[in-house]
Amino acid sequence: MNDIFIDVDYAQIYKHGQKIGGDVFLLSRNPENDQIVCTLSDGLGSGVKANVLASLTARMAHKLSFSPMDLTHSARIIMNTLPVCKERKISYATFTIADIRHEKGEEVRVNLVEYDNPSALVFRGVNSYLWQPERIDLEREGAFKQEVLGHSQLKLSIGSRLVIFSDGATQAGMGKSLPLGWRLEGVRSFAQAQIEANPDISSHDLAQAIVCRAHSLDRLSAKDDITCMVVYVRKPRRTLVVTGPPFTVEHDQDLVEKIRLFEGKKIVSGGTTAQIVSRLLAKPLKVDMSCWSPQVPPCSIMEGIDLVTEGMLTLSKVAIALEQKKPVRSLPNDAVRKFIQVMQESDQVHFIVGTKINEAHQDPNIPVEIGIRRTLIGRLRKALEDNYLKETSQEYI
Amino acid sequence: MGKKERVSVKICVGTACFVQGGADLLLYNEFLDPVVLGGCDIEGVSCLGGCKDPNAKDRPPYVQIGGVIHGDMTQEKLCKLLAEAVHA
Ligand code: FES
Repeated sequence: MNDIFIDVDYAQIYKHGQKIGGDVFLLSRNPENDQIVCTLSDGLGSGVKANVLASLTARMAHKLSFSPMDLTHSARIIMNTLPVCKERKISYATFTIADIRHEKGEEVRVNLVEYDNPSALVFRGVNSYLWQPERIDLEREGAFKQEVLGHSQLKLSIGSRLVIFSDGATQAGMGKSLPLGWRLEGVRSFAQAQIEANPDISSHDLAQAIVCRAHSLDRLSAKDDITCMVVYVRKPRRTLVVTGPPFTVEHDQDLVEKIRLFEGKKIVSGGTTAQIVSRLLAKPLKVDMSCWSPQVPPCSIMEGIDLVTEGMLTLSKVAIALEQKKPVRSLPNDAVRKFIQVMQESDQVHFIVGTKINEAHQDPNIPVEIGIRRTLIGRLRKALEDNYLKETSQEYI
Repeated sequence: MGKKERVSVKICVGTACFVQGGADLLLYNEFLDPVVLGGCDIEGVSCLGGCKDPNAKDRPPYVQIGGVIHGDMTQEKLCKLLAEAVHA
């Protein structure tokens, strides 16, 4: 597992009265080479037409970034392909592409290509970092104006952030609360103040704060789409999930050692497993009768463990909720909700799956079986990776 | 008259019991007589072991009342057993 985590998220508000955005944000991770590509594109105009332009641009920029092609060449292809606006006779969409790679050590390399969007900001801790991008004139045939790309190679170490936004943010408040709009400086000092107030603010919260601020400068009726994306490089938050008793009793002690030494949050899922851990750690187990729902048995409380739940029923409900991306607030106050909260606050989740065959239950209909446990954990991992972009790993004991 | 011992009640919240009616027993605040409720110390426990006993004569859900394990528990049965225990 990586010792670095790249937290990427964005927030967006559409132009007042529009149901579709002219700002399009795309994000994907390529787990094979630890590459993340984010693209923000702003299409000419607003509404559907702008959305088509921006989506096309973002999609192409996105795809091309995963290819080894030279970026000026990619940019030319994008611009040659964009459809021409009937009224204005021009084809136009701005874009920013951040190609983020974590190769080794505690540093992340960013290849940043900007075309006509407000310049991105970089913060190292609370300090804003200034740099001069290299300018590349595309000199494209048939261009209706000079087309200059900005290209920068940046290094982000732990605690650094990259903030990218559309002109909906920099122009917020123009003609209303601020004659010239919020401007780059306004966004910079606001973001800086947010980081100062909460040095560990998540990308989600920071992006949200910037967009909301821009929206309020526009008196809650945005003149343009407002989009902000934040990349935050930090140490990963880890969680350990232990489920199922070890294959033989001799391994019980190993399991408990692994739990004890783990740095991060700890979840024990399964009644028998919890009893083993409680006995070997010499910490009493107490059922919490206030936290259950008709489908999910109560949680228990044990010192040193963040969450203790029943096994199969809880895990299968967790799998379903993660697969369906159910919002936490829609869930009843039970073990599933707590489990999912911990998952959402983690970047990396490690599962230790016990392989002891459960004693035969009297009722053959009860779904308590090792195969099921394995499948369940597989589903959980897939949902965490695909729907929540978490890193997961697993071992059997 | 000396103070009466409270009755210790342990409701199994293990998987096997929970899915076979144990969940209904957890609503004890709603179906038990408040006087009876006042005379009991009710807590949850994970697996009392009954579900794993191949020779058991009864089936989940299990509840332990004052040290004795009872199976096939229902809300009615629990009301009756606890009333007896509290008023004994
Ligand atoms: S789950 Fe209740 S006795 Fe085993």
